Amino acid sequence: MLIVLAKHVFILYNVLHFDWNLALKDAICSCVILSFSSWGIILLIRAYPTSAVITVYGLVMALVISGITVGAEFEALKWVIGIDNESYKTWLKGTLVVRFLFIWIFNSWVATISALRKNISNLDSRFQQQTDASILLKEAELFKLRQQLQPHFLYNSLNSINALINIAPDRAQEMIGKLSDFLRSSVKRESEETLPITEELVYIQSYLAIESVRFGDRLQVHFEKEYTDDAVIPPFLLQPILENAIKFGLYGRTGAVNITMHILLDGPLLTITVVNPYDPNTQPPRGTGFGLEGVKRRLYLLYARTDLLETSSDNENFTTILKIPQHHVQGNTDRR
Amino acid sequence: MYKVILIDDEPLARQLLRSLLEPYQQVEVVAECGDGFEGFKAIQELNPDLIFLDIQMPRLNGFEMLELLDTPPSVIFTTAFDEYALKAFEAHAIDYLLKPIIKSRFDKAMQKWLQQASTKEHPQVSALLENNVYEGYQHRIVVKDNSLIRIIPAQDIYYIEANDDYIKIFTKDGSYLKKSTLSHIEQTLDPQQFVRVHRSYLVPVTQLKSIEPYEKESHIALLHCGAKVTVSKSGMAKLKTLLGW
Repeated sequence: MLIVLAKHVFILYNVLHFDWNLALKDAICSCVILSFSSWGIILLIRAYPTSAVITVYGLVMALVISGITVGAEFEALKWVIGIDNESYKTWLKGTLVVRFLFIWIFNSWVATISALRKNISNLDSRFQQQTDASILLKEAELFKLRQQLQPHFLYNSLNSINALINIAPDRAQEMIGKLSDFLRSSVKRESEETLPITEELVYIQSYLAIESVRFGDRLQVHFEKEYTDDAVIPPFLLQPILENAIKFGLYGRTGAVNITMHILLDGPLLTITVVNPYDPNTQPPRGTGFGLEGVKRRLYLLYARTDLLETSSDNENFTTILKIPQHHVQGNTDRR
Repeated sequence: MYKVILIDDEPLARQLLRSLLEPYQQVEVVAECGDGFEGFKAIQELNPDLIFLDIQMPRLNGFEMLELLDTPPSVIFTTAFDEYALKAFEAHAIDYLLKPIIKSRFDKAMQKWLQQASTKEHPQVSALLENNVYEGYQHRIVVKDNSLIRIIPAQDIYYIEANDDYIKIFTKDGSYLKKSTLSHIEQTLDPQQFVRVHRSYLVPVTQLKSIEPYEKESHIALLHCGAKVTVSKSGMAKLKTLLGW
């Protein structure tokens, strides 16, 4: 606005050779009125309820308001300067068209800018809404997937206890205790996004304790640990993988079954390899087990990657490899 | 004396059923099996009157095992948590026991079965299998190959042809017959991968090599395996929407 003022003074004083006093008065008057009219346009655009055809609306408003402005300017200048200056009055009438054009262009420019600004902020908030919705959906699905992991194991364990009550009451009692431990730590971990691997392994041990009541001495799980304590893992991923290994490993065999779990922290990746014996003649080569589809889906939701769970097999062993990125920015919430 | 077979992958679950059956003098447990393979063999050899069948088992699940039997015996399903299957059981009046299995509920199921056995009016489990009992799509088809059970992964299928009461599944290792209908198999497989291009043909999209016009309103599809199958007018429309032509 100051630039407009200075320019106005310059034109009147230097180009048209008016005196200082008159040039300054005319310029200040015009600028004050122009400021009011631009401010009016900005307010009108802000009050406009939608963003549909807002630019057209702005431009029409600019035209109307420019008309009113030039009238107001004419009256004001006549009153401030022209009362006792007939030649100025005549000159003023002659410049009305130029004044109008100038005001109109300036106001159109103001209208376009504020219309654009409003459009952008509308888009921004809509985009924000969509991201919020997709985050909510993602969380809901993750929650559902976590829930699905539990029921089979839980009901089957209860059924085992049911059987043990008659044949071996001591073992039934032992299993109830272990199942309770397992459930307690499940509930506690429900809200965690990632946990230290050491904590996850405590949970896995309480899970294995239940399985070993069910399968007796036949089940042997060996851990090979190569990690530091700061390694983390999202909860509820390891258990379904191990459950799968146990189901397929124990099946159709007599005698002990060895399952190994190798945990390796290598730079940005925690790699967990579970190897269980299996019978290749009875399984589809690329079949995934009960819980592995769910694990895959969770990994995708957490990391947007599909290459974090791999399975492979040879004639004797089935291998599941799980990779957990260690320095991942969790979810969209942090990215905002 | 009724012959009963228990099929469950957990020894303790079988033990529980055995102890629950003890009071029933008219019933004899003739076999215990740990999965669908063993179950299938035992049923064929021993021809039981009733089986207790778990659904989720390694290797061959309960439904897959039933599909292979020409005349399945009457079944009481035992399951931990299969919401989808439970709806199917209820729709076909097939009895099931939820784990953990409680004695009172078990006795009720047995009473009902014994009553049905005396009048020989059992609900037919084969009717259940005509619908899709699975939640989600299957990634394999189980067939009988002479006395062997063969599991065909979906990605190994060249195409499937309708053949009266049977379907013929073509793979790189040859073709297999299975007693089923093309409509049923179509329901169980992923429609994003398998397209019913004709009344008699179900084809994996990945097998399509080229499609040429044939007689009026029909086309011929050439598959990667070298076979040619007819594509009907509606089959062509399905392919167009699926592949976005």
